[in-house]
Amino acid sequence: MANILLVEDSPEVSMSVREILESAGHTIEDAVSGKDALQRLSAGSFDIIVSDIWMPEMDGIALLKEIRGAGNNIPVVVISGGAPNAPLTYTAPLAATFGANVVVYKPFEKAELLTAVASALSDS
Amino acid sequence: MIPNFEVDGSKPAPQDLATLNAQILLDSAPAATIVVDHAGKVVGYNTLANALLGERGADVIGQHPTGAFGIFLERARRAGGMSAHFEHYFDHAWYAVVAFPVQSSGVGASLQVIVAADVTDAKNAEFAIRESEGRLEEATRIARLGTYKLFWDTGSAQWSPHMYVLHGLTPDTHAHSAESYRRLVHPEDREAYDRILEDQLSGKHIRAAEYRIVRKDGAVRWLRLDGRVLFDAEGEPYASFGTCQDVTEGKQREQELKNLLRRNTILYEALDASPIGVAVVTTDGDIPDFFYVNAEFENLTRHNTSSLSEAGIHALRPADEGDGWDDVLDALSSSSSGAFELTCARRNGDSFIAHVEVAPVRDHPGQVANVFVLNLRDITIDRQRAEALLQSQKMEALGQLSGGVAHEINNLLQPILALSELGAEIADTNPEKVRKYFDVISSSGRKARDIVRQVLTFARRDAPQLAPYPIASLVGDALDLLQSSLPPEIKLERHIDVVDIQAVVNSTQVSQIVLNLVKNGADSMDGSGTVSVSLDCVDLSEPAAAALTLSPGQWVVLRVVDGGCGMDAYTLSRIFEPFYTTKLAGKGTGLGLSVAYSIATGWGGTLSIESEVDKGTSAMVYIPIATRESPSIRKLG
Repeated sequence: MANILLVEDSPEVSMSVREILESAGHTIEDAVSGKDALQRLSAGSFDIIVSDIWMPEMDGIALLKEIRGAGNNIPVVVISGGAPNAPLTYTAPLAATFGANVVVYKPFEKAELLTAVASALSDS
Repeated sequence: MIPNFEVDGSKPAPQDLATLNAQILLDSAPAATIVVDHAGKVVGYNTLANALLGERGADVIGQHPTGAFGIFLERARRAGGMSAHFEHYFDHAWYAVVAFPVQSSGVGASLQVIVAADVTDAKNAEFAIRESEGRLEEATRIARLGTYKLFWDTGSAQWSPHMYVLHGLTPDTHAHSAESYRRLVHPEDREAYDRILEDQLSGKHIRAAEYRIVRKDGAVRWLRLDGRVLFDAEGEPYASFGTCQDVTEGKQREQELKNLLRRNTILYEALDASPIGVAVVTTDGDIPDFFYVNAEFENLTRHNTSSLSEAGIHALRPADEGDGWDDVLDALSSSSSGAFELTCARRNGDSFIAHVEVAPVRDHPGQVANVFVLNLRDITIDRQRAEALLQSQKMEALGQLSGGVAHEINNLLQPILALSELGAEIADTNPEKVRKYFDVISSSGRKARDIVRQVLTFARRDAPQLAPYPIASLVGDALDLLQSSLPPEIKLERHIDVVDIQAVVNSTQVSQIVLNLVKNGADSMDGSGTVSVSLDCVDLSEPAAAALTLSPGQWVVLRVVDGGCGMDAYTLSRIFEPFYTTKLAGKGTGLGLSVAYSIATGWGGTLSIESEVDKGTSAMVYIPIATRESPSIRKLG
């Protein structure tokens, strides 16, 4: 089972994602922004990051740039609120460009997220 | 003395031959004649002299003469003694008078003969000649005609007085010579003048030769010379004479006419080169008539001036969709100007969407015009392009809004889906947790409901009419929806200070304006920065309002400020033009600001842009505040 850093500003989304991951036996630490996540990364040790894109202070894309820019290859699953084909929304394709291992679109079901996490973990 | 010397043949016989001879001589003289002695007393006279000796007849012998001869004698003695020659006017007649001395062998003393001939007829003829000469002189002066005569052997010349006037000279100061005249001729015309002179010298008559002279005062005058050559008995030319005329004014008029014709040609060519159809229409009669059309007008309508002139303006009016022409006819009949969009018929039956401008050509301001200029442009393609791009802009805005809405809804569906699935799994084992799930599920559901309502409210508000709305909440809603479609490093600041103010707007258009302005601000900042949106109330003074072409007083101002690249003056001058864009292909249609501007002016407000290169741009939308007079103020949920 993995030690997961969950980065998500919406409490409801954060709670539901945490419940899914915990149901599969993972341990979760919450962060509410990219900045928060960076601090927690330097303090603790994580197997994988699950991150939202749209967040105040530092968003998911900026977080990815920081992590990959520092040479950290930790698996990252991005959970995106944008529809995959929605025009002019600032989303998933960009996340992949900046080094996300898997992108999952909200709303997703339990299996979808767990599969994505497993797939990302197997990448490393 | 000669006693008994009588002129009448009935008198006693003469005493000697000398006396008889004298009497015969006297009587045969063709003119009135008297003979006087040294004392001036009459010694003899002839019949013709009777009338000029007054009433006394034969009694005059031995007496001083009276009548006309008394005067003649007196005048002759005063003039020169015994001999004299003069003309004298007496009693409506002219006399040529000759006095001379004779020696009489009989008396041995000197006598004087006075002969007076009536020369009245000759004198009158002379006067007539003088009068006609005077008239000729006057005529040549009036015609500015100088006359000249040139003698070739000596090079001397005779000029009429006006000839001197023409050349700005006086007879006292001008010495005639070929060289002195040539110096008067304008340097550019001297060669031409030389040829005129050569022609004359070779015996040719001169017809209307023209050249310029430069007068002493610097004035340049055009002269026209006509000349005839005089030939001597051997057929050799020896002199020439002719007239000289000042034709400067005629030359100037000729030049003015040439310039006018040239101007006309240039104007017509320029009009034909114009990419805009131009017609000149006259409204003297009942039906407006085409006076002139340029090449583009012919090209657009497939007509020419004569076919348009025949058919009149109605030729351009299609059978259906011709209503737009009523406005044009109204403008013509009311001498006003105007611009109209209408359907224009071609001669071949086709039609096109036309932009027509009418402007009266007035001789004097305020006067009714009956000449108009009419500009015609085919804007069919512009219209189609504008419609297509408006549509694409609409789609772009829709995509942007739907993207924002989708993001919000997805984030709310996420806990609903995940927690209901997890809840079902643990319903039997952990009802406590399931209850917590339900709380989150229902709160997410409520939030989703609110967003759907918000979107529906927008849809419902999409009425064509303007109405008073709480402007702050409309702007707030638009920003909420917009937020998530902005790049994450673009921060949106809000300063909404006019919570309760109602503004007369169209709600859909508010979101469109906010979207367009904020997106422009974000795009200008290269990925990161702050767009500040504020809404407050201002009180415009007279001059401030006039600068914005608004009425003074209270206005709501929506201000969107970015710290982006800004615009230079050139770009700033063009930003409200539809389809003008500085953005990269695919990034913008160039309609954003022009749509925002047309919406704001449609509300009765305006959009004003201030910008500085590399500092950023401020867009201010002035929005009319709802007053008591505004139609029903509705509260919107």
